[in-house]
This record gives sequence, structure tokens and C-alpha cells, in this order.
Amino acid sequence: MLKVENLNKVYPNGTVALKDVSFEVADGEFLAVIGLSGSGKSTLMRCINRLIEPTSGRIFWDGTELTALSADEMRKVRRQIGMVFQQFNLVKRSSVMINVLSGRLGYVSPYQSLFNYFSSADHARALKNLERLGLREKAYVRADSLSGGQQQRVGIARALMQEPKLILADEPVASLDPVLSHSILKYLEQMNKEDGITVLCSLHFLDLVHRYSTRAIGLKEGKLVFQGLPQEIDDAQFKTIFGQEAERVTIL
Amino acid sequence: MNTSTIESPPHSKNAPLASALSLVVPGAGQLYLARRNRGLAILATTPFLIYLINWALTNFRMESIAVWLWLGLALFWAWNVFDAYRLARGQTTVDWLGLILPLIVIYLISWQVTDINLDRLVKRFSDVQVVFKALMYPDLFTQVDGSWQPSENFGDIIGKIVDKPAPGWLVQLGLAQKDAKVPTPVLGKMAETIAIGLMATLLAILLAVPLSFFAAHNIMSRVPGGTVIYYAMRAFLNVVRSIDTMIWGIIIVVWIGLGSFAGTMALTIHSIAALGKLYSEEVEHIDAGPIEAITATGANLFQVIRYAVIPQIIPPFLAYTLLRWDINMRMATVVGFVSGGGIGYFVVETIYKGAFEQYAAAFWAVVIIIILVDYVSAKWRERILAGEVKVTAAAPKPFYTSLRALTWLVIGLAVFVLCWQLSEIDPRKLFEPAPTFVKNIRDFVTIDLSPDVFDTVLKQTLITIFQALLATTIGGLLAVPFSFLAARNLMGANPLAQVIYYFVRGALSVLRSIEVLLYVLIFVIWVGIGPFAGMLALAITSFALIGKLFSEAIENIDPGPSEAIAATGATGLQVIMYAILPQIIPPFVSYLIYQWDINIRMATIVGLAGGGGVGFLLKTYFDLLQYHKAGTVVAMIVVVVTVMDFASAKIRERMV
Repeated sequence: MLKVENLNKVYPNGTVALKDVSFEVADGEFLAVIGLSGSGKSTLMRCINRLIEPTSGRIFWDGTELTALSADEMRKVRRQIGMVFQQFNLVKRSSVMINVLSGRLGYVSPYQSLFNYFSSADHARALKNLERLGLREKAYVRADSLSGGQQQRVGIARALMQEPKLILADEPVASLDPVLSHSILKYLEQMNKEDGITVLCSLHFLDLVHRYSTRAIGLKEGKLVFQGLPQEIDDAQFKTIFGQEAERVTIL
Repeated sequence: MNTSTIESPPHSKNAPLASALSLVVPGAGQLYLARRNRGLAILATTPFLIYLINWALTNFRMESIAVWLWLGLALFWAWNVFDAYRLARGQTTVDWLGLILPLIVIYLISWQVTDINLDRLVKRFSDVQVVFKALMYPDLFTQVDGSWQPSENFGDIIGKIVDKPAPGWLVQLGLAQKDAKVPTPVLGKMAETIAIGLMATLLAILLAVPLSFFAAHNIMSRVPGGTVIYYAMRAFLNVVRSIDTMIWGIIIVVWIGLGSFAGTMALTIHSIAALGKLYSEEVEHIDAGPIEAITATGANLFQVIRYAVIPQIIPPFLAYTLLRWDINMRMATVVGFVSGGGIGYFVVETIYKGAFEQYAAAFWAVVIIIILVDYVSAKWRERILAGEVKVTAAAPKPFYTSLRALTWLVIGLAVFVLCWQLSEIDPRKLFEPAPTFVKNIRDFVTIDLSPDVFDTVLKQTLITIFQALLATTIGGLLAVPFSFLAARNLMGANPLAQVIYYFVRGALSVLRSIEVLLYVLIFVIWVGIGPFAGMLALAITSFALIGKLFSEAIENIDPGPSEAIAATGATGLQVIMYAILPQIIPPFVSYLIYQWDINIRMATIVGLAGGGGVGFLLKTYFDLLQYHKAGTVVAMIVVVVTVMDFASAKIRERMV
């Protein structure tokens, strides 16, 4: 279980990104995080695996207080938290295989990995994950030769290599065509249902929230303004989260 | 700059007052009318022109044109008054006059200062004819007993086979008798030159890679106190880079004496600074995304560097290194002028001896090698930056299991050992300088700023800048027509056009492969020692480089706008005016400024071979062991080159 308590983040330039955010996520949930650009979704995700240090507040995961861990201890915990990014964040000039294998870095010996050495078990695992995402035949091509949707699938395969219990997906479909959005989210749903991985996923479109998530939270200007089932987001709720100007749009 | 109008209502400004202000203090009227940039530009230009004219008249014999210089200034002054008046009344002004008048004055002065004497080009052509004739008959082969054989000169340049006592390992293997003579290949000056360029590049990589991280803002800003180190490192790299390889050559010789090693060190030092800057900019431009992603997997710092940083920087680093290798090979052909070693030293000797056929052989050897290096380096860079995308079903095999890779490894090691020997690298020499070395360095650092020396240095520096200005102008003017002939998209279908295209391209490549100092040697024979010879040499190299850059700019024209303008029913001329010229003028101007920047650096060294300017002064001071004065020259060069570099980068940035 993931528990966030009174989380605050103020950037050195004075921007307040998160204000007193508290919520809980049960194991096996698919939690959608919604809100406008700049509402603090990305900051929240990165505070959970402490790629960004929160200013104050506490985060518990499976009884461990993440916010109290040393850098080295946090590194070990990160192995079980996969992350998927809006811009995919692949090393473009490296092969797909190396990108996927890099998901194992937290587990392997640092000295061996310096020479690109990964065990045959890791290689087999990488191929299996690529197979699962329908990219087996692309294993040895350069990452930047793939299309956007394919690159994001490589990103998911990399996260799966960590054998995670939790996946943080930061706007995983915002850089993709609407058609591809469903393909990517279906894979995340599959991980969630079949492997029992908890998923935190920030999304823009309410349609996608209704279709995939089991629960949702809404952020506005760094504050938690909604918490509940996706179906509960009515027009009034929608305006609170997205502002009076906003209009609903549907995709596909 | 076209004509412009002022928007503010005219009644608020007093036209007579504005013109009166400009009459008293040029630019003041424009400032009063709130045209800040214009006013400041005029305010700065006027005293600058006065100083320049005065300086030129006191330092050079140019009474004959004094009237014209003062007239130019007077007209500029009058223009400024007129301009203020028109601006105040909200009328259109004639901007281009304000630009052209100072330029006329500046070009008139450059013409005189650079000692241009077109007469000499014609009258003394007979002197240089012998050199041109020699270029047709390079001394490479001689007729012995009716058959052609490589001449002695060929052996000196390329290499020969000499009978030498058998080396130990051959005796041990039982392949030769002890003390028996066996034919041994001895490589010539060209091989030595290649070795110098190669070793300098390799040594420079070793030092430039670590230094570049200290000069990268994104890395140093994360380390406590890193910003200070960052600025110090940047400044250090810039200063070292602003001193040309040749000048480093002169300095290094004081330290470790003449020879290939000195040349290698001079190239290495300059390369470290140049590569360090380029590398650090590449480090600053890496994508932060992969770093974040790899960190999120729980990888440690070294793994993040290994998997997110290194894969991103290796291809651009390699590309820059190859580019630098190309430059180093060119510099290696001339560094021997001052530091000994390589083909440069050989060339100077042949010229002094008047052995022009031998010079010609070296000249063509340089052309061939440099064109080859240029081609290989360009192709290789292209491949690296494009990055071949291989689609394979199976995992690639590790390199050490491939026979081909192993063969290359062995060849590479052998070449390395050979080059190490040829370039006479001997690190011990670095720690055993001449006994006077410490004193010399102290002299060098305590620069002489007495008015006498300073005025002399300043005078030569200004000559250098004027040389560069004229060379860029002449080279650029010549390049414009030829660049059209060397543009593939314009010289399309017609076979005659094709022939012209290949001929012009080829000629530009040959001209470009020769370093400016080799041209200076020829022009010194032609028009005599002095800034004129240096200017002509610079004009030729500028023509060759600008011609190539211009033709590439023409080849890169986007056909879209031409199509769009033609579709509106415009005539051919209108298409050129509205679709083609707007696309090529900005890159042309940008390349010209870039070339001026390069030429100022180059003009500082043409004097080393008799081309006048500040380089001649530097060499004289070094030859007379007046190191404190030499220090003044180097300090001046650093200042001028740095300022020019900065200004040129800023201007080009604004243009793009």
C-alpha cells in the first residue's frame, strides 16, 4: 500500500508545486491522476520515487517510510518501482535490447554492467518482455528507428525488467496519437490485472480515465481537489479540477 | 537595413534642435529622438573614424588620399545631421549612406595600410613564373639509364628503402646474419607529418575529455563551488584556443627545442582547448530524459553515466574528434615552419634554397594527403552522425570474437607505435627544459607595456585586422560567382555544366587543402615580403573556403518558396528576388563574418612566413630573445581574437 501524507514541494525558484497532498493507494489499484499541465502531477510522481526531493511530508510504501531512507536505501527501493515517461526517455542511439536491459541495472553488479555484461537470464527476461509487448523482432535495432508508440512499449518493457510492484506512468500517452493511446494503456491495464502491479498513471483525457482506471485523484495548482471513483467526476467536479473555462472533449 | 520611418508624432520633437544636436555631437540628435541604437552607433563610429584616420596619417605615408579620408568623415557627419532632421520630421531616411561612408573610409585605409600594390602583381609575375612552372614538374622521378625511378626528393618526402644493419629481432629469428645489411624502409617527411597530426589528436582526446566535464555548466552547477571552476575552465580554454597552433609552436620550442615532438605538442595544446570547448558544449546539450529514466530503475551514479550519458555523447565526441583530426593534419603540414619536423620544415628549406621542383613535389604530396584526409573524415563523420540502423534478428556478437575487428585492432596498435616513434614523442623532454627556461617564461609573462612597444604592437595588430578585412572582402567577392558554378542543384542536366561543376568543385578542394602559410611563401616570392603577400594568401584561402560554404548554402535552398512564388504568376527574376535571395543572403553574410573571424586568427600567423602583420613582429621578438615583448604581442592577440570571436558569434546568432 502506498500512503502519501501532507506532501509539499516548493522549488528553489519559489514555485509551489504541491500543497499538502495526502492520499492512499491500495495494492492492485489503477489510479488515474488528473489535472491541467503544471498542476503538479509530474512532481507528485517524482516525489514518490524521490527523483525530486519533497520539501516536507511523508510517503510510506509497504510500511517503509520512503522519505526517511538514505540515498542508497532509496536506490534499492526504486528497483521495485517502475517508471514510464511522457517522452519515453530511451537512450536513442542504443539498441532496444540495451534500453530494456538497463531496467535491470539496480540488480546487477555495477562492475559487470560497466562492460555491458548482463546474465543470460536477464537476456531471456528482456526477450520475453519484448515478446509480450509485440516487439521481439525489434530487439537489436536502434531505439530511435522505432515509432513513438513502439518506443513507449520499449519504455514499458524497461520498467517490467525491474519486476516492479508499482508503476509510475507520467503522462504515458500524451505524446502519442489517440489510437496509440489505447494500445499503450491496454498494456498497462494488462500489467495491472495479470501481474497485480499497482499503477499510478497521469492522464489528460477523461475518457481514458473512465475506461482504464479503478480510482482517480485530481490535482489543481498543487492541491488535491478530488478523490474518488472515475464515475463520480460529474460536470461540477470537472470544472473544479480543470477550471471554469474547460470543456469536455472525447477521443475515439 | 532599408529606409525606415519614425512612428512618434512629429510635433513632439523639434527638428532644428535635433539636427543642431547632431551637428555638435554626432548621434546626439538621434538619441534625443529616442532612437537609442542608431544614436549610439553614430556616437561610437565618429570618434572611431577620427582616431583611425589620424592613426593612419601619422603612421603611414598616405598624404595622397588624406583629403578623401577627411571628406568621407565630413560626409558622414553631414549625413548624420540630415538624418536627425529627417527623423525628427518623421520622413524617410537614407540608412545605407550611413553605412557605406564609414566603410569607404575603412577600406581606403586598409588598402594603403596593407601596402597593396597591384603593379607588382603584374610586373613581378616573371619572378613567380618559375614557381608555377616548377609546380608542373615536381621533382619526384628521375631517369636513370633510360628508366624512370623515384628521385632522391621522392625518398625525402614519401620514403625510401635503405640498406641498414639488420635489427636484433631479425637476427634472433634467424632470418638475417649478424651485422648483415638488409633493405629497411625509411619513411619520409610526409609520414612524419601524418604521425604528428595523428598523435596530437590522440593526446588531445585524453586531456580534453576530462577537462570538458569541468567546462560543462549542467554538470558543474551540481557540484558545490563548481560554478567558479566552470568559469575558470571556460576562460582557460578560450585563452589557449585564441593563440594559434603556430604561435604555440614558437613558444613550445623555447621549452623543448626544435623537432617533431615540439610540433606535436603545439598541435596537442591547441587541440585540447578546441576539443575541450566543443566536447563541453555537447555535454551541456545531452538529453536529461534518459538520465532520469535510468535513475528511476535504481541504478547507481556510475551506471547512470555508463548507460544514460556516455551513449549520448560518444557519437558527437567522435565526430568532433574526426573534424579536429582533419584540422590537425592541415596544421601538421606547416607547424614545421616554426617548430621543425614534418613536411613544413622541409618546405621552408626548399624555398630558401630556391629548389622549387622539390617544393612542388611536397606541395602536391600535401594536396593529395589532405584531400584524402578531408574525404575520409567527412565520410566517417557522416556515418557516425547518421548512425546506421541495422535490422538484425540475432544479437550482435561481441567485437573480440570477430576476426575483422581483431585485425583492425592489431593494425591500429602497429600504426600507433610507428607514429609514436615518427613524432619523436619523449615526455622526459617536458621535464628537462633548457636552463634559461624559467627566466624566459618569467620574461614572457611580465609583458612589456611601455608606450614604444605597445604602439608598435598596436600598429601591427591593426594592420593584421585590416589584412583580414580585405582578404575576406576579396575572397568573398570572388567566391560569389564561383559558388553558383559549384552548386549541384544549379549545374544540373547539361553535360557542359556538369564538367564546369566538377572542375570548380575540384579546384576549390585543391586550393582549400593548402594551408595559408604555404601560399604566403609563394606570394612573398611574387610581391615581396610584407602585408600585401599575407593578404593575398589569406584571400586565396578565404575564396576556397567561402566558395565551398556558399555553394552548399545554395544547394540547401528549399524549393518550396520558389514553387509558391512561381505559382502566384511571378516572373523568373521575381522568383529569384523573393524566394531565392532571401534564403541565401543570411547564410552568405553569416559565413562572411565567420570567415573574417578565421582570417583574423590566420592573419596573426602569416607574418611567420613573411606575410607581415603581428606575426612578423612576434617572430622577430622571439628570434631576438626579447620574450617580454613577445609576451605583449601574444597578450594582444588573445584580446583581439577573443573579442572578435565573441562579436562574430553574437552577430551570427542574431542573424540566424
